[in-house]
Amino acid sequence: MIRLNRRVLEQLDPQAPDVAGVCTTLQYAIELEHATIPVYLYALYSLDVARNPQIVEIIESVVFEEMLHMTLAANVLNALGGTPAIGQPGFIPAYPGPLPGGVESELTVSLRPFSMEQLALFLAIEQPENPHIYHSCSDDLDADKPITIGQFYTAISVALGQLGDAAFVRPPRHQVGPELMTNAVVVTDVASAQKALAIIIDQGEGTSTSPLEVTGGGYAHYYRFMQIQKQHYLVYDPHVGPGEKAYSYSGLPIEFDAGGVYPVPSDPSAAGYPAGSQQRVLCDRFNYSYTALLRALDAFLGGDNTGRQMDVAIGLMMSLKSQAKAMMSGIPDPGRFTGPSFEYRGSDPAGER
Amino acid sequence: MSYLNPVRLHFSGKFLANVSTVNNDPGHFNNATFQSSFQKLGQGMTNGWFNPQGDASFRLLGCRVTSAWADGAVVPEDDTVLACGVADADSRVSAKLVDLDPEQQLVSQIWGLQVRLVDGNGTTLLRGSYTPAAFCDIWSRAAGSSDIAACAAYQSVLTDLEWGDLSGSAFLRQLRTLSAPNGTLSIKFNVDAFCMDFSSPDFMCGRLVGSIGPCLPNEPAHLLVGRHFMAQDTPGNDSFFKPVGQINYCPAVIDPVARCLYLDLGNALPTTGPDNALKDLGDLRLGVLDPIATPGAPAGSMIPLGALAAATYAGDPTWYARTAGVVVFALDANQLAAAASAPLALSGGAGVMIGEAASGAWLRADDFVHRLSPGQQVDIAVHAMRWGRPLPGVVVDFKADTGGLQPCNVIDPNDVPPVGTPLAAIPFNPEARTGADGIAWLSMVVGDPGTPRYFGAGTHFGIDGQVYGIRASFAAPQLQGPVNLTDFISILLWSSFTPRLPLTWVTLYPIFKQYANLYPVMNRFLDMGDYGQVVANADLLKLAFGLAPDDPNAMPVTRDMSPAKRQAILAWLDAPLEGPPILRRQPAQSEALSPPADDKVNQGGKATAISRRLIVQQRTHATMKEPS
Repeated sequence: MIRLNRRVLEQLDPQAPDVAGVCTTLQYAIELEHATIPVYLYALYSLDVARNPQIVEIIESVVFEEMLHMTLAANVLNALGGTPAIGQPGFIPAYPGPLPGGVESELTVSLRPFSMEQLALFLAIEQPENPHIYHSCSDDLDADKPITIGQFYTAISVALGQLGDAAFVRPPRHQVGPELMTNAVVVTDVASAQKALAIIIDQGEGTSTSPLEVTGGGYAHYYRFMQIQKQHYLVYDPHVGPGEKAYSYSGLPIEFDAGGVYPVPSDPSAAGYPAGSQQRVLCDRFNYSYTALLRALDAFLGGDNTGRQMDVAIGLMMSLKSQAKAMMSGIPDPGRFTGPSFEYRGSDPAGER
Repeated sequence: MSYLNPVRLHFSGKFLANVSTVNNDPGHFNNATFQSSFQKLGQGMTNGWFNPQGDASFRLLGCRVTSAWADGAVVPEDDTVLACGVADADSRVSAKLVDLDPEQQLVSQIWGLQVRLVDGNGTTLLRGSYTPAAFCDIWSRAAGSSDIAACAAYQSVLTDLEWGDLSGSAFLRQLRTLSAPNGTLSIKFNVDAFCMDFSSPDFMCGRLVGSIGPCLPNEPAHLLVGRHFMAQDTPGNDSFFKPVGQINYCPAVIDPVARCLYLDLGNALPTTGPDNALKDLGDLRLGVLDPIATPGAPAGSMIPLGALAAATYAGDPTWYARTAGVVVFALDANQLAAAASAPLALSGGAGVMIGEAASGAWLRADDFVHRLSPGQQVDIAVHAMRWGRPLPGVVVDFKADTGGLQPCNVIDPNDVPPVGTPLAAIPFNPEARTGADGIAWLSMVVGDPGTPRYFGAGTHFGIDGQVYGIRASFAAPQLQGPVNLTDFISILLWSSFTPRLPLTWVTLYPIFKQYANLYPVMNRFLDMGDYGQVVANADLLKLAFGLAPDDPNAMPVTRDMSPAKRQAILAWLDAPLEGPPILRRQPAQSEALSPPADDKVNQGGKATAISRRLIVQQRTHATMKEPS
């Protein structure tokens, strides 16, 4: 389970939070939601889809929702008059390292090809706290203890309630709605903001009573990943217990073909590839596209909330997918496998060769 | 004057042209005979050539401003333009490079390119949209006959200009002012030294050197209204153009106000090898033929206009990158007068020579590549000029000419998709007279070509529509001169498409399947020949098929699908009916095929396309017949 350093909440005055403090905390949330995406994508694209189709489908489904979470946090931030800052170097965490705001001693996240060990990291990232914590925040806010992601969002949610509807900009500002992204929530007031944050918690950890998401209809991320570890799909199973216990990992088998993972390095960096090598070139080129995507999202979530700009961003996501799948699978040079490093690269990828 | 302007910058760097190569053989368009080996990396058309996994992306890589000029002088070193990079898009996907057609691969176009000037801090000082353009004047610049040896030029314009903070650059402020009336810049670059070695870091990259200047009102986008030096091919050459005088086609502009002549040798001087320095052709002397015969020079003598020392262009390895091959000759009043209406010539060491046509007349369509649908009206501007000025009131002839097209089918040589038929589908005017602006219009409302390029005598789905060539020439014999064989108007005319309703997967399957066959890159997303996967990805496909062709995200990346088919696909994706099951026959195994022994044919890319031109096929055919 991720435990966040309590300092991620230091801008939130528990008694009288201000808009600026909530905005700072929401920027943190956007960075946190983004930070898992490269980790998941690296494992996803390291898999030969023909040999591991089920695992590919599961990881991909989680990535889609992490993108939604970024958008939801940005909607709340925009609704308060803030502006998400995405297209800049510091936005991307260094891998390996803690997640933004994470307690370093507890969890180090790495870019690694898919393996059961890497799956254990995914489970640790998504592992829910004891369900009762979903109900409260202040009860458990021991001054020195790290907090869970659920507690983090709950604290923001409470602060929003304290700010009241008057803190929200009218007319609605820079919102990405469901017409652009499925399950997106247009944030206009406390209720809609809290609904947006609840989706993030529920999709990540599940609800307090069920592994099912309230929004989206699938299982929460933790349970989706657990299916891979248990090697069976999670299914409704009234024989094993009532209510939330009526589920078991007894569905169709999920097979992991370890031979269907490309031999890419762990935690690659552009600088780690020899200067002038094809691997360096491919990595730089990927990073340039990745940076372009962050810039496109910066515009999309920063006011250009149009279908056209969304298409621009989707185009870049597809380009990244294409580049990553090629370089990780030995294209163009068969036998040479290159891992993308997900680093910020603002200039075009040949200037330093 | 376009990029050949007193105010201009030059830049140099690399380009990426990650084209896919499975579609390089017309035979690969036959779904009925397609084999999985055609998608594999490997020599020849029985495999997928040298880059079957290409994604068509075109990028500017590491390009930097190498010099800038304003009013005859180099701009001061503290002008920030000199620290600028020339980059492409930083917040959207890269541009795409695509062929017009498998049977016309010699006008590859760049679509969706954004060009930026970026200062040393990474700040964008200028952003512009590159109007899609095709290359011209491809030739063999270095020794050898593969694409590695080739060089070609792209000329276009940048529109929708967005200027940033220009406080550090008087040059850019001047460029902005000059371009303001049109809101347009002229950009020209030369591409060579293409790398086809998949193990190299430069795989699918090459050298790019170019120039940017203002585009003034009424200037065409893709050609210079100027003086055009005409080269002649080496007799019997069936590969890339090899000028007998060693210098390729090149343009020049005379600026009577600045009293100088700008000569663009960027795509004209050979190199000692791919990516190497320019070859020493001796000192290059520019002159004008004195039309007045004298007792000592009965055929007319050369009036010298200036010289470019070999020590400069060949001896200085930075010269090409620094100047993009643009040479400025200062002219005095006498030279200006002499050059005003007499042919220019450039000569060097033994046998090195190129000159203007004796008539001084030249013409070319500004936009010489067109994709058309049945019923569409098209008006193509052909610019005629003489001595660098628009030539009004002359008759321009238009003739269908398939000589430069490349019909072929190596998979089944007995089933070559024909080109240029039916001619009735392109009812163009046989001639037109140029207006005061020197423009003659080629106009027509195109018809439906049917499906002349379906395989198996029309029984198997094949290549959509038809590709045509139309050559423009002066009607008056006294205006005619050397002919540039690659210089003609290319038209891809799509077949009409009115599918039976309700539209189902059964009708669309051949289209999707052909796409899946030709572009293995799509396998990274889905199998486009699989109904379930297409339906599952309907949203993504709707996005890609719904975009304008000049959007870099548009599908197909090849821009070779008719609007009618795209609309049908979009409509179907909204309600994707499957229809009855499709009976698929298993294609034969691939071991029966082996690459032909001909090296030239096996090189792939433009070199192979060049060798397949109908004019070469006819010449070879005639040669083979002669001995009997």
